[in-house]
Order: sequence, then C-alpha cells, then structure tokens
Amino acid sequence: MSGMSIGGSELDASWFLILSAILFTIGAVGVLVRRNPLVILICIELMLNAVNLTLVTFSRQLQNLEGQLFTLMSITVAAAEAVVGLAILVDIFRTRDVEDVDELSEMKG
Amino acid sequence: MAVVGAVGVISFHEPIRSVLSLVVVMIALGILFLLLSAQFIFVAQIIVYAGAVMVLFLFVIALFGPARELARANLRFQSWLAAVFVLALLIVIWTMLSGVQYRQPDTTDLSVFGTVQSIAVGLFTTYLYPFELTSLLLLVAAIGAIYLSRKKVDDQ
Repeated sequence: MSGMSIGGSELDASWFLILSAILFTIGAVGVLVRRNPLVILICIELMLNAVNLTLVTFSRQLQNLEGQLFTLMSITVAAAEAVVGLAILVDIFRTRDVEDVDELSEMKG
Repeated sequence: MAVVGAVGVISFHEPIRSVLSLVVVMIALGILFLLLSAQFIFVAQIIVYAGAVMVLFLFVIALFGPARELARANLRFQSWLAAVFVLALLIVIWTMLSGVQYRQPDTTDLSVFGTVQSIAVGLFTTYLYPFELTSLLLLVAAIGAIYLSRKKVDDQ
C-alpha cells in the first residue's frame, strides 16, 4: 500500500467526490442533449460509474467494506441493464432505422 | 483523464467514438479504484465494463452501421432546458458533498482491505442473500435478452 492515506495527508477523498460529481453531471448532460438512443445508454453507464466511484471513495474513507460490496452489486445491475437495453435497441433497429429517440414515442405496453 | 474521456463521450457525433472514449473513462476509473485500495473492484471493472459491456456496445454499432446523429432537435428549447437542469443538479450534488462529515473510520486492517479474500468473506456471510438475488437478476437479464433478440417466427 506504500503508506497512502486518504483523508490524511497525501490524498484527500473530496477530490474523488468532486470528480464523481463532475462525471455524473456530464452523463446527465449526455442523456438530456444527445438524440441517439445508443449514446443515451452509454451516458447512463457513465452515470452509474460515477456513482460507483462515490461508493468506493466512501468505503475507503470509512474503511468499511460494505461500500465495495454494494459496488459489486451495482456493476452487476449495470451489466444486466446494458444487456437488456441493447437487446431492445437491436429489436427496434431490426424493423426500422432510428436515429432519434423522438421517433420512438409511440411505444406502448 | 477521466473528465476528458467523459466530455468525449457526449461530444463526438459518431457513436463508435463515444464508446471508445467511454473505455478511456472506465480504465481511468479503474486506476482510481486501485488507488482507493479496491483491488477486486478494479479487476471487476476492467473485465466487466471495459471488456464485456463495451464489446457489447461495439457489437451493436458494428451490426447496424455507423449511424450519424442528426444535428437538429425537435424540441426547440431543449438545450437551454438541459443546461438549466444540469446546473441545478450540479449545485445540488455540490451542496450535498460539501456538507460531508466523516465519522471515525472503522479500525480495519488496511493490509487486507479490499482484497479478494475480505470481499468474499463479506459477500458469502453477511450479504449472501443479496448475492443470490444478483445471480437471479443476471439469469433474468440473460433470458430477457435472448427473448428480445430472437428471430421472430411467424406462427401460422
């Protein structure tokens, strides 16, 4: 570990939290601004990763392993979400060429 | 590096470049996890995210061709609304994070913190039930993906 102490002298945990906030915000911008459904999925992955960084940072800061365990669960959920989302997109792309999420507004139950 | 990659994700117009910049973000975050003494999370991040999920995205893009994004937006004030909303979001997160006060850390031995062994002990004793639930979730996701992407058979 080479004597690295976060929250102590060498590295401050707040930098990790700030980075995670910035990443989450950039992901939110992407979801709101971009039009391609694929890119919107990518941006959701980005936001999930920012949350993971927050969890790991607090876990390290409190020296409590539960944050890391929850991060593992979160990675699993993110992978499952990506798989199902991409499957839906493949199903949609197969019938027509969609470049804009507004063209998908007629989807109903 | 992570921030540069993230900006690249939302600013490139071709989806394949977005995916490749997301890989940069993933690897940078993985290195940060290693810095935060979360070795097992680092390995999981590299394998699951930078490996599997990104390959999945690249597959879908390669399957359906490089669809370029249209520049126009149907909603007129969408970018302004998005800017306002995101600014509010950033302020909310900032105030939440700036009010953070840490309690006294648990006295865990840092030499074993975040190793595979310590994570496995937590995962298979205290959190066994959520762990089994995640495996069930993965099963459901796999079945759902197969169901959604199967070839439609006309039953006549």
